[in-house]
Amino acid sequence: MLIADAPPLLQLTQVGRRRGGRPAVSGLDLAVCSGEVVGLLGINGAGKSTTLSMMAGALAPDHGRITLDGKDFVEHPELARHLVGWLPERAPVWPELTVLEHLHAHGRLRGLAGAGLRVASDRVLEQLELQALGRRLAGALSQGQRQRLGLACALLHGPSLLVLDEPASALDPVQVASLRSLIRAQAAAGTAVILSTHVLAEVTTVCDRVAIMHGGVLRHDGPVGSSGQAGLERTFFDIAMRGPPAAAPGTTV
Amino acid sequence: MRLELRRLLVRPLAWVLAALTLAELAWRFVLLLGNFLGVQIKLAALPGGPGFTDMVAVPLLSSLLTGGIVPFGLTELAIVVVPLLTMSTLAGERGSGTLHLLLATGTPAWSMVLGKYLAICIWMALWLGLVLLMPLALAHGTHLDWGKLAAATIGMMALLAMLTAIGVACSAYASHPAVAATASLLLALGLLMVNLGAQTAGVANGVIDWLALGTHLEALLRGLVTSADLVWFALVIAVALILATWRLGTERRRG
Repeated sequence: MLIADAPPLLQLTQVGRRRGGRPAVSGLDLAVCSGEVVGLLGINGAGKSTTLSMMAGALAPDHGRITLDGKDFVEHPELARHLVGWLPERAPVWPELTVLEHLHAHGRLRGLAGAGLRVASDRVLEQLELQALGRRLAGALSQGQRQRLGLACALLHGPSLLVLDEPASALDPVQVASLRSLIRAQAAAGTAVILSTHVLAEVTTVCDRVAIMHGGVLRHDGPVGSSGQAGLERTFFDIAMRGPPAAAPGTTV
Repeated sequence: MRLELRRLLVRPLAWVLAALTLAELAWRFVLLLGNFLGVQIKLAALPGGPGFTDMVAVPLLSSLLTGGIVPFGLTELAIVVVPLLTMSTLAGERGSGTLHLLLATGTPAWSMVLGKYLAICIWMALWLGLVLLMPLALAHGTHLDWGKLAAATIGMMALLAMLTAIGVACSAYASHPAVAATASLLLALGLLMVNLGAQTAGVANGVIDWLALGTHLEALLRGLVTSADLVWFALVIAVALILATWRLGTERRRG
């Protein structure tokens, strides 16, 4: 449920970030509203993961401004505690902790405690179908199970902004389908979702808007068109092959 | 702190190190005790001669500074063990990607550093407690100098807390746990041996002696508790933890 008239929950203005001595992201302008699902596309090295890390509060931009809920996110990194849920690429875990201990550790870091933490843990275990794995060590989980655990940790505290970096990688088709339903349900409840993926079908299925990055620059930002996957594929490959100049929001050049 | 302590307690490394070091120290304790029993009658004839505390309890804690008949006391073991326990605190988290996950929870850098530091300090206190149980087990059958043992215990806890702070700081700066462990070990050895050259040459240098770990630890092991020595340990701990916090605080900018 997109709350169209409300100010954006997350706003990136002229954001830039260097990594490994080269610009990974340059001049990025992007706004995400509550209830909106934005797909972030781009070939490997396009700057998607760096962008998502900045949106999640794990990286600070070298220049530009990120505001979350109207406040400067760099000056107030503590905003991430309650407002942001992040699933990084490859879902890092502490291998010596069980699934349940993970959820409790993440919950405490996010300010949950006591009965609230137990209720939230039970809820996400059920949502991600992890009940049977509660006492399993995270180090013994398959990649798909780790991915679901990472997603459970991201959802635990009921964030307003969900940042997902390739959440469907390593999931089987049934799990992918339930992940898509889960993302839509989160958006319907008012959560803003940013989803990075290489699967174009995922964008056309779950996203309201698509942003395409290339060479660290935002090349396209607009609604998922009525032309569906074929139209998106054309746009994506045009950008990936030709690398047009940066687009104004809502257009492709 | 809770998370780090939990991770420490379920990792086999901490238990293996504890078991090996306690076995070595138990062997050292038996040898020191045998040596003490052999000369006990002669010592009893000496007014103010060394007793159980001087010949067994304190040498169990350190051989480098107080002498001893087997090579490794708790001090020497700690110089090797502490870097192994602290190396993964931040460097390991960085390597596995969980450090960025922690940063993204908005947890302040000082809170992360302090939590990890205190968790390892708790493990160190337990380790020291288990070692002290050996001489304490004989307290009813011998004359323990409680004041001297308390001073030595304070000295050992200060040493363990200082080595832990150095280890956490090295882990904050290193890209890999092995690098952190090596740097931490070298720094500890450096502090231990900084005045060795001057001592060998018979040169007394106030600044170099003040920098050396031995100067401050030895006084505490001999039963002399002075605020100057405790301040030295507190200073090293503070500098190490501030540097670790500063490094972690820049992590969001460095990436």
